[in-house]
This record gives sequence, C-alpha cells and structure tokens, in this order.
Amino acid sequence: MSKSSPRRFAGKSTGTVTVIEARVHRSSARRAKLAFILTAVIVGVLAAVVAASYWHPIVALIVGALIGVPCGAAAWLLVRIWPVLQRLWWWATEIVLAVLLLTAWVQLANHTSTVVMLLVVALVVGVPAAIPPVRRQVKAWAWCLIVRHRLRVCFAQFIIANQSGSLPLILWARPTPVGERVWVYLRPGLSAKDLEGRLDKIAVTCHASTVLIERASETNAAYLRFDIKRREVLDARVNSPLVDQIDPTAPVSASPLTVPTALDLPDVDVPTITLPAQGKPAAKKPTNSANGSTPAADTSSAPDDDVSDWI
Amino acid sequence: MTSATPAPASGVPVGPGLSMFDPLFIGIDEFGQPVYLDVIYRNILAAGEPGGGKSGLLNNIAGTAALCDNTRLVLFDAKLVELGPWRDIADEFVGLDIDHGLNVLRRLLVVASNRYAWLLAHRRRKLAPTDGLSVIVTIIDELAMFSTVLGTKAQQEEFSTLLRGLVSLGRACGMPVVAATQRPSWDIIPASLRDLFGYRAAFRCTSLNSSNIILGQGWAEQGYTASDISPTNQGAAYLLAEGGVPRRIKAAYLTDADIYNIADYAAWIRRPAGARLDLGLAA
Ligand SMILES: Nc1ncnc2c1ncn2[C@@H]1O[C@H](COP(=O)(O)OP(=O)(O)OP(=O)(O)O)[C@@H](O)[C@H]1O
Ligand SMILES: [Mg+2]
Repeated sequence: MSKSSPRRFAGKSTGTVTVIEARVHRSSARRAKLAFILTAVIVGVLAAVVAASYWHPIVALIVGALIGVPCGAAAWLLVRIWPVLQRLWWWATEIVLAVLLLTAWVQLANHTSTVVMLLVVALVVGVPAAIPPVRRQVKAWAWCLIVRHRLRVCFAQFIIANQSGSLPLILWARPTPVGERVWVYLRPGLSAKDLEGRLDKIAVTCHASTVLIERASETNAAYLRFDIKRREVLDARVNSPLVDQIDPTAPVSASPLTVPTALDLPDVDVPTITLPAQGKPAAKKPTNSANGSTPAADTSSAPDDDVSDWI
Repeated sequence: MTSATPAPASGVPVGPGLSMFDPLFIGIDEFGQPVYLDVIYRNILAAGEPGGGKSGLLNNIAGTAALCDNTRLVLFDAKLVELGPWRDIADEFVGLDIDHGLNVLRRLLVVASNRYAWLLAHRRRKLAPTDGLSVIVTIIDELAMFSTVLGTKAQQEEFSTLLRGLVSLGRACGMPVVAATQRPSWDIIPASLRDLFGYRAAFRCTSLNSSNIILGQGWAEQGYTASDISPTNQGAAYLLAEGGVPRRIKAAYLTDADIYNIADYAAWIRRPAGARLDLGLAA
C-alpha cells in the first residue's frame, strides 16, 4: 500500500526519475510557498517597524520589502532543497570520511613517491587487518554506520508513519558486545508499541538476529533505544569469583552418609519405596482416609478443590 | 563461536567475611557486565526446562551465602545432590522427608513472626545489617517435588501454604527464599505463591507460553522470551529484577569440584570456636 501510492503519483510526472516521492514533493512546493510568504511578511514588517524610527514610514516600508523578499526567497530555497539537505545529513559521516580519505590520498600522491605511498596504504590497511581487536573495532563502527541507514530503510519502507512522511530522527549509534545500540527520536504517528509488532522485520532489514526496543527516557516516550543483536556473548562459560576467594587446602568436611546398596532395578522389591509418595500406590489409600485426612485426597479430585487459588 | 570469557571477577566483592547485605554476584549480562542481585530483600524464583541451569544458579547463591558472615542456610532438595554439598553447613537440610520440611517451615515462620515483634519493639520496619540478627536464606530446589509429589495432598497443600507465608513474611526480616522449579504453572505452584517472588529467572523454555508463565504475561510479545535461548547454552536466562525489563544473563558456573571446595572451605571458616582453639593448639 505504501509502495503503490507513490508509484501512481510518479506516473503523472513526465517520466523524470525523482528522488523525492510525488506526495512529499507536492507538499514541499506548497510549504516552500508558505515559507516564502510568512518569512517575507514577518521579516518585512519587523524591518519596516525598525526602519520607521529612523526614516519616513514610506521609505521604511520600501526598506522592509527590500529586506523581507530576499529573506523569504532564502526560506523558500531552504524548504525546496530540504530533501537534499536531509540526504546530505544522512550521509554526513560517510561524506566527511570520504573527503578526508581522498584528501589524504591526494596529499600523499602529491608529496611522496609511489613507494612511500604504497607503504603508508599498506600500513593503514594492514595494521587493522592484522590486529584482531583493532579489526573488530573498525568492523563494529562500520556496522554502526550501516545500521543507521538500515533503520531508516525500515521506517521509510514498511513502517507507515504520518501524513507528511516525516521519518524518525535516527540519532547516534554505538557498538555493544552483541551488536549495536541506536538511539531514535520518534516523530508524531509512531510509538514503541507500533514498533514492537515489527521487530522481526526490523531484524531482517538490519541483517541482525534480533532487535529489542527500550525506552531511553523515563519522561519522554518518543526517545527510544534500539538494541540490535547480531552476536552472542552469553555462550561463553562464566567463572565464579568465589573460586578465587577460597583456600583449596581446607580440610574435607563431610558428615557420614548412609549409602544405599540397592542401586539397580532387580535389587529393589516392590514395596520398599524410599519416596514417601502416597498419591500413587493404591494400597496405601485406605490407611490414609482412616487416619482422618480427607477421603477425597486422590489425584482425580485435584481440579475441583480450591480452584480459584490454583489458577 | 564462543567468545572469550569476560573477567567478571574483577572488583566483585566476594570472599570470607562477606555479608548477605551486599549485592550477590550471579553472572554476566549480555554486554559482559557483572550482574548482582539484592537477594536479602527479595525472593527469587528460577524456572525453566530440565537441564536449563537452575541448580547452577542456586548453587551460586548457596555458595555465596555459605561464605557470608552471620548467615544461615536452610536447604530443601529432593534430588539430594544439588544442594547436598552444603548439608554440613546448613542449619537444616531437607531431602525427601516432607514432614521434616513442614516442621522446618513452621519453625521459620515462628522465627519470622518473632523477628517482626522484635522489629516492632525497636520501632522499625525492616532488618538492617547493624542489627546483628542472622540472615536465614531458604533455598528450595525442585519446588514441585514438595508441592506435588512427596507426601499426601494435604501435606503438599500445607507445604505451599507455609511457604507462601514464609515468602510473604520473610522479605523484610532477613529471611529470603530462593526457589527453583521446572515449570511454575498453576498445577505445580499456586499462582498466589508464584506471584510473591519478586525476582524471576527464566532459563530455557520450550514455548512462549512457558516463558510468560515465569516472567509474567506479555513479555514474550515484546521480544523477551526464554524460548529463544539455545538448548545447548545452559545457564543462560532472562532475569527480571531491577529495572523492570528482563535482562539476558549467563549464570556463573561452579563445577562439582568447585562446589565441594567452597563447601569444605565454608565449613572450615564456620567451624565452632572450640574447634578453632583445638586446631590452633595442635598446629
Ligand atoms: N551457568 C552455566 N554455565 C555453563 N553450563 C551450565 C551452567 N549451568 C548449568 N550448566 C550445565 O547444564 C547442566 C544442567 O544444569 P542444572 O543441573 O543446573 O540444570 P537444572 O535446570 O537444575 O535441571 P533440573 O531441572 O533437571 O534440575 C549442568 O550439568 C552443566 O553442565
Ligand atoms: Mg536442578
């Protein structure tokens, strides 16, 4: 459903491949116009009021218009290119990293010989690859980058949010021993309850084994924490610190036990039952009721006594 | 697949002279952090399928309690071997004899009511470490044996009733109860008894429903279900304690040799003063 409607709208536009959904696009045009008018009017009036205390009111009005219109235009532009800014923001970390790497590469290429360059590259790539803890760290942080995009894919693709199509703010992510933990700020239209039914799909989208959601704030229901699990730390054996605290040379203390000798089935005759179980042997029942306990004390009567207590 | 064992021992306060009023180390959580339980003011129920690791958790608690200062152990174990190593230092060890068990529970209840009378006389509502009263830890392995198998129906019901009394009274007077059972459904333990246990540890279960019975309704739907624990990962559990959300933990594991070593050492540090003097002279 969420997939078909944008396609229908997109069909109307003349075959151009738009990054932005048609619905969002339309409302963006409307919002841009609104932003232009509002900003122009408010800034213009404010500027005119200020200018009026220096010049003639008519001059002040013209000054106000001169200041208001460019401000409105700026606001219009901002709203129109907002989707692009949004995408730049989503990829900001990657962009910064790529720029840094490229700059370093170019600088290296310009200032050193090929041999030195190869050496540096070998070091930068080889050291993390060769040292497992460093490699794990790099991988963990790379997953943090990936998982934020995957979560956004979840929200955009199958978690239907609100009319304007605004996505939750995916805040920072950090690695945990089992995967990643991502903080998310929900926008109107979603709640933790809505997401709970889709945890399995989120896990699939994030290439993880399971996902858990917890509230990150006691006071704000919009602020959530996603725990994405793709590893298991709990299958290692945990040693008890008690073992290190004791003196293993302490003398053995064991009270004498009576050790039974009948350890095999043929050694045990029918009536010698060590368990004082009286529910099962039928022979013992009469003596029971004779002792004064309730005659109906057999297993068949279990459901009807004191049911309210046992439910 | 198995990752390196985190070192939970660093900074964990255990050892001789330890007090039950301190948090008790039981294992690590899924982030590798040590997990502590305030056993003293809470009752703990461990449940899960056979071989899940319940007795392992109980032995951790028993081992720590054994090394604790001014702490008494009351043990119920129909299987004998799980808590048997501690029988010499325990004040009471109940095996297959439900009459004995009933008597022990009655005594415990009298102690509990006396303690509350004492607290009342001292204008207090809760036992504090400075009171000098001993902590009496009651540990029951295989609760179902006492509530459904051993003895007559009347005895089993009396056991449940007395235990309910102890569980509801013991909390504030330094008499916590730790119990383990395979499935805490209504036919094994009355709901009125089960719901008194504040801390729950759900070891592996076979169904969402069983997990919900242990942890409480609704957790499985939110993704906290003990049925997703691998059957080969014994000792892993969901622990519902502080924080209100079940946490995945892995209980620390004591081998049989460890358990007997700790038991021997506990018996050694707990030996009566007279014996200490004799040995001191002999040495
Ligand atoms: N924390 C642990 N770490 C690693 N292995 C464990 C742990 N706890 C238990 N095990 C393994 O699982 C086996 C069964 O554990 P345990 O006897 O505690 O299960 P249980 O739940 O008490 O079973 P039952 O219901 O039959 O009494 C142990 O023998 C041990 O090998
Ligand atoms: Mg057991």
